[in-house]
Amino acid sequence: MSSNPISDAKLIARAVVHDDHHAFGELVRRHQSAVRSTLRRLTGGNIAYADDLAQETFLLAYRNLKSFRQEAKFSTWLYRIAYNVFLADARKMKEVPMPEDADGELLAVPDTAAPSMSQQAALNIDLERAMLVLSEAERAAIVQCYHNDLSHEEAAHVLGCPVGTVKTHILRAKQKLKARLGAWSPQA
Amino acid sequence: MNTPTIDTADWLDAALAAAGQEHRAAYVADDGFTARVIGRLPAAPTLPAWRRPVIVLLWLLAGAGAVVSMPGAFDDAFRSGVALLVGRPLGLADLALLLVLCGAAAWTSLVYAARAN
Repeated sequence: MSSNPISDAKLIARAVVHDDHHAFGELVRRHQSAVRSTLRRLTGGNIAYADDLAQETFLLAYRNLKSFRQEAKFSTWLYRIAYNVFLADARKMKEVPMPEDADGELLAVPDTAAPSMSQQAALNIDLERAMLVLSEAERAAIVQCYHNDLSHEEAAHVLGCPVGTVKTHILRAKQKLKARLGAWSPQA
Repeated sequence: MNTPTIDTADWLDAALAAAGQEHRAAYVADDGFTARVIGRLPAAPTLPAWRRPVIVLLWLLAGAGAVVSMPGAFDDAFRSGVALLVGRPLGLADLALLLVLCGAAAWTSLVYAARAN
């Protein structure tokens, strides 16, 4: 028996033509992890809030499935919806809830220049905390390009802005992160 | 990594790339998430199972009603059409055969519609 999974395109066609909830359910199952973890990053680690936004993302995707033209990957299209849902809700709430430890102090001091496994983990934790000082747009650009591994062009499509703006956001984000994580620099 | 314009040799870039890899490798367990989404989807609009035979019957009734209400017009149009097609005026035997065929077609479609449901 063949174990080839049905392609996203076929599942989308079934969901659109036959209003097939099972087909859409399979799409949700496939992409829920990426969408939920992206939203967790965007919301600064607020899991419950991110999951609510992820549900809204998939419901909106279902309603607009007919408008998906297959020009971009389905995952990229979902990231775009997720980002728009996040932005709309953030505007409604005025601010995204942040963990209390997002203070201004310089983070962590490594023992050596070459980080070991535990130091890498510590660096990741500090990086997570440092991400909270970034603006929404800067954090979104980092999340799309580094965490979701999108090209600048794909990230620009997801974020709904020019490619140059994405590059600028990444550059500024990295400057802020470098300033905040200065103690991790090999030169420090 | 897809950030070629940024200095790839820099330590922060490497740290972000490593964090990104870790992020992609970490799978968020479904834990009922998909079921919750499916539960909130709008119900698909469904028509009752008896719709097709009823629709066929209504069309037949409407057709019969139109014929009964305007017998002259339909009779003339029908006879002229048949004469045009077969090249001779319609006889009583032809009319009887046609009626039988129409009846058979109507009953066949009714039975088919009922079976398909």
